[in-house]
Amino acid sequence: EPTATKEEQQPIPPPDGGWGWMIVLHFFLVNMLVMGMLKTFGIFFVVLQEEVGGSSEQISWIGSIMSSLRFSAGPLVTIACGKLGDQLTSIIGAGLVSSGCLISTQATSISFLCVSMGLLLGLGFACLYQAAAVMTARYFKKRLALSNAIARSGMGLTFILAPFTQLLIDFYGWQGTLLIFGGIMLNLVPSSMLLRPINTKNLQDFSGRNVHSGSLTQSKPPATLTSHLDEISTTETQVNNRLENAAGLESPVPCRQPLLDFSLLKDPFFCIFAWSFLFSQLAYFIPTFHLAARAKTLGIDSMDASYLISVAGIIEAVSQLLSGWIADQNWIKKYHYHKTYLILCGITNLLGPLATSFPLLMVYTVSFAIFCGGYLALLLPVLVDLVGVPRLHSSLGFASFFAGIAAIAGPPIAGWLYDYTQTYAYSFFFAGTCYLIAPISFFFEPSVHKWKLRKEEELNKVST
Amino acid sequence: EPAPVPRAGWAPTRPPALTVESGGRRRCVTPAQQPGTGGVSLQRYCSCPARTMRGSGSGAGSLRLLLSLAALWLSDANEPGTAMTTRDINQQTRKSISDYTVKEHDLSTPGSHLTTQDFNQQTEENISNLTSAVYSISINGFSSAPVEENVILYSPANIALSCNLTSPSTDSATVNVTWKKDNETLRSSSVTFNETKHVWSTQYMLKIRDRNQMGNYTCVFKRDQEVKATFHLQVPQIEGKEHHVVSYVGDSVVLVCKSIKYIPISWIWYMSNGSDQVAVNDSLMPDKYTVDEKYANITKLKILKISEEDDRSYWCQAVFKLGESKGKVSLKVLTYMTPLKPFLAIAAEVIILVAIIFLYEMYSKKKQMHAEDEKEFEQIEQLKSEDSNGVENSTTRHRKV
Repeated sequence: EPTATKEEQQPIPPPDGGWGWMIVLHFFLVNMLVMGMLKTFGIFFVVLQEEVGGSSEQISWIGSIMSSLRFSAGPLVTIACGKLGDQLTSIIGAGLVSSGCLISTQATSISFLCVSMGLLLGLGFACLYQAAAVMTARYFKKRLALSNAIARSGMGLTFILAPFTQLLIDFYGWQGTLLIFGGIMLNLVPSSMLLRPINTKNLQDFSGRNVHSGSLTQSKPPATLTSHLDEISTTETQVNNRLENAAGLESPVPCRQPLLDFSLLKDPFFCIFAWSFLFSQLAYFIPTFHLAARAKTLGIDSMDASYLISVAGIIEAVSQLLSGWIADQNWIKKYHYHKTYLILCGITNLLGPLATSFPLLMVYTVSFAIFCGGYLALLLPVLVDLVGVPRLHSSLGFASFFAGIAAIAGPPIAGWLYDYTQTYAYSFFFAGTCYLIAPISFFFEPSVHKWKLRKEEELNKVST
Repeated sequence: EPAPVPRAGWAPTRPPALTVESGGRRRCVTPAQQPGTGGVSLQRYCSCPARTMRGSGSGAGSLRLLLSLAALWLSDANEPGTAMTTRDINQQTRKSISDYTVKEHDLSTPGSHLTTQDFNQQTEENISNLTSAVYSISINGFSSAPVEENVILYSPANIALSCNLTSPSTDSATVNVTWKKDNETLRSSSVTFNETKHVWSTQYMLKIRDRNQMGNYTCVFKRDQEVKATFHLQVPQIEGKEHHVVSYVGDSVVLVCKSIKYIPISWIWYMSNGSDQVAVNDSLMPDKYTVDEKYANITKLKILKISEEDDRSYWCQAVFKLGESKGKVSLKVLTYMTPLKPFLAIAAEVIILVAIIFLYEMYSKKKQMHAEDEKEFEQIEQLKSEDSNGVENSTTRHRKV
């Protein structure tokens, strides 16, 4: 239960509820609106081609910039959050998104739209997404997976946005639609104000240097290395605060957390996560992009194909919730679930080309949605397990940066595969292979764990 | 009227299969048609030993020429209607050129000046490669519903429309077949009729040259019941946009019409004015309307400086050799206020939410500070009382958290 604090600087354990649900609400809205905007870009694509002109390649640049910048701007957002705080960064993000929409209504050329719609929206999305994700991780510990899944289920509602967008375009034209979207995105400003800062100055970065402050003599054998780390950091700060109160002085925080922790790039835990994240992102876009096209080549009409896509969306959302709940029960470590889902995703995709009729394609879609939802819900909790909350911003920033590269590379690779082989089967093979490569890094986790423990013991022996 | 002089190289073709002599006039009937079948018959005059049309100056050609001239003169001598004669001859020679024949509604229309045209057509036939096609409809039984088929014709061609009726009944009554164009019965020798066991088929051969031949052609089979099938001969249809194009006042918009498979000769734009259509004249108002015809099968009408008056329907008309067809594009003009109203409504709601949350935060912070002040006050009071009460009363100092 959250304990009320006298000053905000008193470290409190994550609430796992209470005000945390407001954070989840905000994250839910972010997911719904951000992913909704990204997914409905396809509708804008058609309209823009007719009205503004320009080749389809030029217009698809807008979408690419938008979706890749949403990931790649991660490190930038990390710095912003470090300097300005999560709440302010999120508000700025919401402001960027709505002003991007509003400016785009005045667009007269594709390059204008690339900047106003691609750049501004991409940056805004990145700010919103990362701030919300980290705040969720701060507010939830035991129920992180479930709350993350609840928030992500907002993506499942995006299928409502597509016909809504089409309706708006028919009524107001694309400029009017963007104007109204700008207003809708403005709603993220009050919801960003819900991101009340918590423990912002307390949890310090645990680096190897803090070990010899002596707090390792504290009792309790830790369950995992990171809970150990958390313990150390919290007791560390408790010690500091007691010192503060005793001395009546404000002693400076011993270790300043660097804004962008490049040492993370050498951290094997981060590397494990980044490897798996990169390949799963590379693979993720391909089936979703090519599902409709493959349905068409198999002779399924577009009404049934869109039905397929909406079914996939709903099942993915439900599966995320289930997977989050299961993971929170803590029967086994979360990354085992993550591994399993990734492997099953890979197998489903490798068997995908066997689906040659509508019922078989439906089976493929349903199973892919189940496993995909499963691993997506666990991305954030697994990262928190591996790296810890203090360094979450930096690690999320870097991981997103690499994911952004994959997001840019994925669809063109798939398209090239199709052009080269003239069949969509190879795209599915590629996706399946990437999904099978992704969990390989997790098999190294136990050995890395042991290596780290050994390293700590050595440092302990050195210090004592 | 003077007898028309045939051009050099002109000679009728294809000798008739049989010659019937009656009343001093030779009547030739080609083998394809027998008089008295299916209620179609045609009287023709022919100059008999004709073979090819293309000969120019060969010996056989000149002999034919002489003979045809002789026939002409002979018929001239007996017939009051020179014009008709000529026409008939032309008709017949035309018939003898190709395998298909053209049906004329009736022979009594005067058309002496048709000669040149006929010649032109004839030479045209010689020059160009006309496409031939057969369109057929199968009807199952006398009780089936009327069948329709759309035939898209783009350029002049020779076509055959064929209806096949399959009726398993053993009724041995005769089946009459008639062809109609737009509900007018056709009488023509260009109709063939076959009857085998349970299958009746009829074929109507058409030469499509201009828009007069377009229309609805129906074959009617009649015994005791009647069953029919219709061919709709039409030019390629143009698709406009089913949904209106939205644009704003002061902006500019491009209306596009495409004809994908067939390339029209030209495009004309019309705008609706009340209930009728007025042509859009882009040369008269060049700063308002611009027509872009970079590609022949796409036309783009660009309207600049849009005002509310431009909220109407526009038609793009594609002109083909065999007719025209129109596509509709309607323009809807909005002012900036239209989407601005929902936006302002949403913005107002956002501001209200921000204010609520801000006030809530201030309120909860004040409450917290107030509670902390109270606690501090209590602590100070406690300390004071403890001090005054003595040291032994002091127990663990609770730090209220």
